[in-house]
Amino acid sequence: MESAMQNSNPTILNIADLPTRLYPEPSGKSGTRRVGIFASTDSSVADPSNFAVSPYASAESDDDVNLMEEPIDEQEIYDLVSTISDPEHPISLGALAVVSLPDIEITPTLPEVPGSLVRTVTVLITPTITHCSLATVIGLGVRVRLEQSLPPRFRVDVRIKEGTHSTAEEVNKQLADKERVAAALENGTLMGVIAKMLETCQ
Amino acid sequence: MATVNPATYSCALHPLSDLTPPSLERTWLTAPHPHLPIVATCGSDKTVRVYSLTNFRLLSTISGGHKRSVRTAAWKPHIQGESVLATGSFDATAGIWRRWDSYGHADDEQGGCGPRTRPGLEHDHDPDAKENNRTDILRREDSGAEDEDNEEWRFAVLLDGHDSEVKSVSWSPSGMLLATCSRDKSIWIWEDLDDGDNNFETVAVMQEHEGDVKCVAWHPVEECLASASYDDTIRIWREDLDDWGQVACLRGHSGTVWFVDWEGVQNVPVCSPELTGQDNETLLSQWRETGQRALSGPRLVSCSDDRTIRVWRRQPKEQSGGGYENTGVPSILRPTGTDETWEEEAILPTIHDLAVYAVAWSKRTGLVASVGADGRVVLYEERIVADLKSDSSQEVMETDLPLPPRTEWVIATVLTGAHGIYEINHAAWAKRADRDRDESKDEEVLVTTADDGSVKVWTVER
Repeated sequence: MESAMQNSNPTILNIADLPTRLYPEPSGKSGTRRVGIFASTDSSVADPSNFAVSPYASAESDDDVNLMEEPIDEQEIYDLVSTISDPEHPISLGALAVVSLPDIEITPTLPEVPGSLVRTVTVLITPTITHCSLATVIGLGVRVRLEQSLPPRFRVDVRIKEGTHSTAEEVNKQLADKERVAAALENGTLMGVIAKMLETCQ
Repeated sequence: MATVNPATYSCALHPLSDLTPPSLERTWLTAPHPHLPIVATCGSDKTVRVYSLTNFRLLSTISGGHKRSVRTAAWKPHIQGESVLATGSFDATAGIWRRWDSYGHADDEQGGCGPRTRPGLEHDHDPDAKENNRTDILRREDSGAEDEDNEEWRFAVLLDGHDSEVKSVSWSPSGMLLATCSRDKSIWIWEDLDDGDNNFETVAVMQEHEGDVKCVAWHPVEECLASASYDDTIRIWREDLDDWGQVACLRGHSGTVWFVDWEGVQNVPVCSPELTGQDNETLLSQWRETGQRALSGPRLVSCSDDRTIRVWRRQPKEQSGGGYENTGVPSILRPTGTDETWEEEAILPTIHDLAVYAVAWSKRTGLVASVGADGRVVLYEERIVADLKSDSSQEVMETDLPLPPRTEWVIATVLTGAHGIYEINHAAWAKRADRDRDESKDEEVLVTTADDGSVKVWTVER
């Protein structure tokens, strides 16, 4: 995985141009909410061993009630995943345009059930090159980041953006497989790679 | 999603109890014991929790055997005096656990139903363990003694062979064979040599699946195995002259097939409400006696990531030759060897909005239950309907066996948010055993297992 770099010269966006609510803004509702979400995830991200022990602990410790009071929007999701580092480069997924704000969507999971609190977060990933075999690892990193940060009423749907990858279908099927993702969370080697990617998340 | 008018539901699900205390992490599956009022719940916390269905309390926690999540478990059938549990884990192994049953007390608690432990039954192996573990599983819960629980379950053997996560385990109807399956795409069949030394012999390793094997399930009476896979297929396996091999590959689902379950051998659908009493008698006897149905044997139900639930039926072999003279079917068209032809008989009304993780076909009532990522529990009922075209079809099928009466599947009830916002990973039917049951009836409960560690027990009002 680390021997030959697949894309040695990727296009990098200027971080200052990326949409974010992570840095102080004069107005907006972000302040208190940011503290709530990030405070609980920081500890788990910093300590990779936490992943193996209890992958869902951080999500559960975020009380539903707290989060429902302050809705989570696409920008918030972007801020959670854009700071993840690419496994090949010390560059963020946001700067590489692997994730972008227009490719994030939050929708009701059960639209015909009035009052259902369950939401689906769809994140489309654009790999830097069409045959990048690290697409699965990047997708897994995004899924892990969101599952650990969001309350459990969110269903995380991470997919490769159509037409951007040669084996997108295969990667999508793996990323959507709950059982495989759960098993990956208990795989020390893989979680070491993921933890490294998430080190740069604030 | 099919539109359903709740007023037409023929069933209602009522919450009976949660199993307490619950696991605080994801639970994957809950396996009801074949005759004792207990269940085993598998969890991400690497343990198996054994709960009572009499008072819904935790009896024991089996831990220490697996290094990763316990994904699956199955009780060995047809053994007396002892309970044997097989577990499968993400650590790529299957474990076998043993515990002596109570001697005498279980009968009182069971209310005199079904097969039971035989008092005084002698075992010819492991006498020390027997002496140490004779305590009554049900008496213990009353006395509140829980400290020695871990010692009571004896870890017997670790079945090592799979390369990656074990996803499902299943005992054959006789209890002689154990099937295990894994992300390594293989199915292993082990024979329990029952020699007192916990020896298991590898009988077969089948590697035809092209993706993770998610589920294995034995036919209710025959040594015939069904498997479901990430490769979107279901496969049927039988032994032919000492060799286990695939006899059918069932295609139809357009996503991972998560679970399969068999129909009970004696299953009979209910009659549609529009039919008169006289019709009912005729149709029910037709259902039981038609040759084609009898030769097909129990059907299979499957559920998938594609959100559908499908029913599969084996085509009777005799239809293409064999016992019937002059059918005119050239020998080249007849299935050769042990190959079987399975056809998709029905797609149940589609209700689920996300992946359907488990399906359970009740052996008592014939109801099918499904659960999935959308948090719904759905019950389906199969009804015999009057077939207006029966005369013409008889003519066409002149040389064939008589067909069973036509049936249709209807939604019996839908419960959304059965475990709140959480995904439901498994559903199983079990005999009702709490004190409020009606002992004159063979009542049944549905046990559902969810992502937050909760396990709920439901009664069905029909």
